[in-house]
Amino acid sequence: MDDSDEALMARIARGDERAFRALASRHLPVMLGLARRILGNAADAEDVAQEAMLRVWTHAPRWQPLALFRTWLTRVVVNLCLDRKRRAPWVALEAAGEIVDPALGASEKAERDERERLVAAAIAELPARQRAAIVLTYGDGMSNAQVAEILDTSVSAVETLLVRGKQNLRRALSS
Amino acid sequence: MDKNQSQDFLEAALKRQTQAPPADDAAVERVLKRLSGPLPRQKMPLWRLPGVLLDWQFAPAWPRMAALACCAALGFVIGIAGIDRRFDASVVPFAIASHSDIGSIVFEPEALTGARP
Repeated sequence: MDDSDEALMARIARGDERAFRALASRHLPVMLGLARRILGNAADAEDVAQEAMLRVWTHAPRWQPLALFRTWLTRVVVNLCLDRKRRAPWVALEAAGEIVDPALGASEKAERDERERLVAAAIAELPARQRAAIVLTYGDGMSNAQVAEILDTSVSAVETLLVRGKQNLRRALSS
Repeated sequence: MDKNQSQDFLEAALKRQTQAPPADDAAVERVLKRLSGPLPRQKMPLWRLPGVLLDWQFAPAWPRMAALACCAALGFVIGIAGIDRRFDASVVPFAIASHSDIGSIVFEPEALTGARP
């Protein structure tokens, strides 16, 4: 049986709940991570991921494979994150772990940790669209064209978002 | 830290801070559990609407056909028997005449004052 995303979507469109659960299990980890990085809040990220998967279910009969399913789902998650009225406080990614450099002394490590904390705080203060563009570009390694498709904007607008985001970060870090 | 070093540091820090975290299995399980309940109704595309409307099963359901026939027969009997006729109409003939004259009575001028309605 064809187990691709598009085949599963076709089955979901016919009301197949097992196909829906298979698709959700496949994409939830990545979408949860993306939502958490944009929102900076694990609880909100879970809500967004759940809402995104419910939209997959409800919109499946209308969905047409004009783009990759993954791209469409990423767009849904990013839009839901941007729609969140309440700006959740940014939570640093301690869970990602930290590679300890044995060559660094205690003071250097403390200084580096402090800089990382400042960067995390500065990212938290960015406008939502700039933050989303930075997360998709730097975190997921997407091209500007892919980010533009997900954010439903032009490539030049994505470039502008990235430039302004980095300007804001530099300004915040220098102050 | 000069400008180039600052630029490099920012790029590296952005990659570190925005990299995908390891999958949180507990969170995934929680969301999947929430999704395991009854799912909402799916939105049907408009271009499928004619098909949905035409997708009727016309096989007769005999109890309903019998009920429909009974209703039709009952309606026929009621219509023939004239159950809506007033009971006093058959025993008081002048009442029928008064009913038919009611329009002229209403529009006639009042006997004493001559006022018209």
